[in-house]
Amino acid sequence: MLLIDLIYLSQKSLRSNILRSILTSLGIIIGVSSVITMISIGSGAREEVEKLIDRFGSNNLILRSQSSSSRGVSMGSNSINTLTLSDMENLKNELPAIKAIAPQVSLSTQILANNNNWLSSVTGTNNEYFELGNWSFETGRKFEEDELLSGKRVAIIGKTVQKNLFEENNPIDEIIRINKVPFTVIGILEAKGGTAWRDLDDTIVVPLKAAKQRLVGKKFPGDQIRSMTINVSSSDLLSKTEKDIDTVMRKLHKISANGNPDFVVRNFAQFLNARQESSKVMSILLATVAGISLIVGGIGIMNIMLVTVTERTKEIGVCMSVGAKKKDILYQFLIESLMISLIGGGIGIILGIGVVYGVSEYFNWKMKLDYISILLSFGFSSSIGIIFGFYPARKASNLNPIDALRYE
Amino acid sequence: MIEINDVSKEYIMGDNSLLALNKVSIKIDNGEFISIMGASGSGKSTLMNIIGCLDIPSSGNYNFNKKDISKFNSNQLAELRNNEIGFVFQNFNLLPRLSALENVTLPLMYSGKSPKNRNDLAIKALEEVGLKDRIHHRPNQLSGGQQQRVSIARAIAGTPNIILADEPTGALDSKTSSEIMKILKLLNNKKITIILVTHEQDIALYGERIINMKDGMIIEDKKNVIN
Repeated sequence: MLLIDLIYLSQKSLRSNILRSILTSLGIIIGVSSVITMISIGSGAREEVEKLIDRFGSNNLILRSQSSSSRGVSMGSNSINTLTLSDMENLKNELPAIKAIAPQVSLSTQILANNNNWLSSVTGTNNEYFELGNWSFETGRKFEEDELLSGKRVAIIGKTVQKNLFEENNPIDEIIRINKVPFTVIGILEAKGGTAWRDLDDTIVVPLKAAKQRLVGKKFPGDQIRSMTINVSSSDLLSKTEKDIDTVMRKLHKISANGNPDFVVRNFAQFLNARQESSKVMSILLATVAGISLIVGGIGIMNIMLVTVTERTKEIGVCMSVGAKKKDILYQFLIESLMISLIGGGIGIILGIGVVYGVSEYFNWKMKLDYISILLSFGFSSSIGIIFGFYPARKASNLNPIDALRYE
Repeated sequence: MIEINDVSKEYIMGDNSLLALNKVSIKIDNGEFISIMGASGSGKSTLMNIIGCLDIPSSGNYNFNKKDISKFNSNQLAELRNNEIGFVFQNFNLLPRLSALENVTLPLMYSGKSPKNRNDLAIKALEEVGLKDRIHHRPNQLSGGQQQRVSIARAIAGTPNIILADEPTGALDSKTSSEIMKILKLLNNKKITIILVTHEQDIALYGERIINMKDGMIIEDKKNVIN
């Protein structure tokens, strides 16, 4: 018998019992949509974490100054800059796990060039900044050693700044005025794209010394800096180094172990881990739901197929009397259960895609529809149809023609 | 064509056993029209099921076209039913979800004929039983007589040598019955062997040879001269 005939006959009998077919596939529907949601949550979380790592670098700790509220008055996070370059040197000397440190001062200010003006954030730092932040150069170069030492007025600009000030023109060697101070553009950073909260490419990087002398002198007197990005040699040492930094900094700033610190250490990896962990829990939960509903769905299919075989015993006898072989009957019922499970799979896939889009739209939970999950769902539902449909189909095919024909 | 020697069929139900056929021997030639008669429980249906390869004898042997089919497996039996034998049942036994045409096509599907080829054959068969204008009706949209004609068309679609009709008029009124019997007679004129099981005398008289059965044995086997 041709496959197309088997499919034709199967859909005829499924359509004559359309409500029953759909109810039967309910387990598969729920199972498959859970599989899709589960995988989408997983890959959404993974993608987000990868993006974050790509943007902010991995194995980085951020140390920044924090207003102490020692006299009961909060001074606001920008009011006191307690971190200094000598803190940085001390940390580097005391903690061998630290691979590199990029000190930073920053301000937000008006930039003028080419008769355009643009408000952007300016960071004063050193060459480590590019490496730790995963920045690469589209054109141009990093700072030269003597430019850093002398605080030369050179600037490396992000893609957004380039577009807004220079449009399509080449900005290298052009002058931009930051806070009216002229800087020469020496490089362009490759675009990273936006995050939910800000455009990372809307940035200008200048030598730390140039920034301190020319741009933020009043705010950061002496060797004060705003923050530092600290790169740790391996991810295993992250939490330990975080604690060590706290200890060393308390010693340097003469703060007791239970006193209010004037700095804060942020462990980015920890934040990422927590995030990954919570999506993992969600995935496990959904995997359980998926597994249970697929099995229950499979048993449902088996149950209804057994009913169908009994109901249609006489019909099977008729088919055998006109020449149906055992395998014709077997395939007929297998295809029927396969179709039920594929209908369930199809509806489940649509439902799953709906859930994925709905949740990521309305709850702002990052999910990414993975096409593998659709393939996987098809695989799951068809194998369930075949596995759980096999027993009833075999039962049908093993009927004795005359017994089946006489069945009332 | 058909040669049955000393065939018995025993049904075992718990401690009791029932001998439905007791050492029956019969020879049927090509193109015969045979009526098998007998009261219910006489073994006539059992004999017919064995001839139709729906049931297997407990003992004895059965040669079909000089082949001993007691050694056939279920696939070979299915092929034999498909190619050589057409069944007509008392209750028509059409598949309710399929149209008349699809019902007639069913045996041709199982023999693996191409869609075009089998459609032509099925339409031809329906024409032969006079149902050309109702091929897309479903069984529940047809009268009893029409359903029985569809089932005859299904039986002849695969151009078999034998038609086995088990009480084909049992569910029909007398006028429709005679129409059906005329169709069977017509088919017999085309050299198709007809084996008819009935308990109605006037229906049996369509046959050229009448076999009477009682208690699993043939008690009479006579020629019937049709005027």
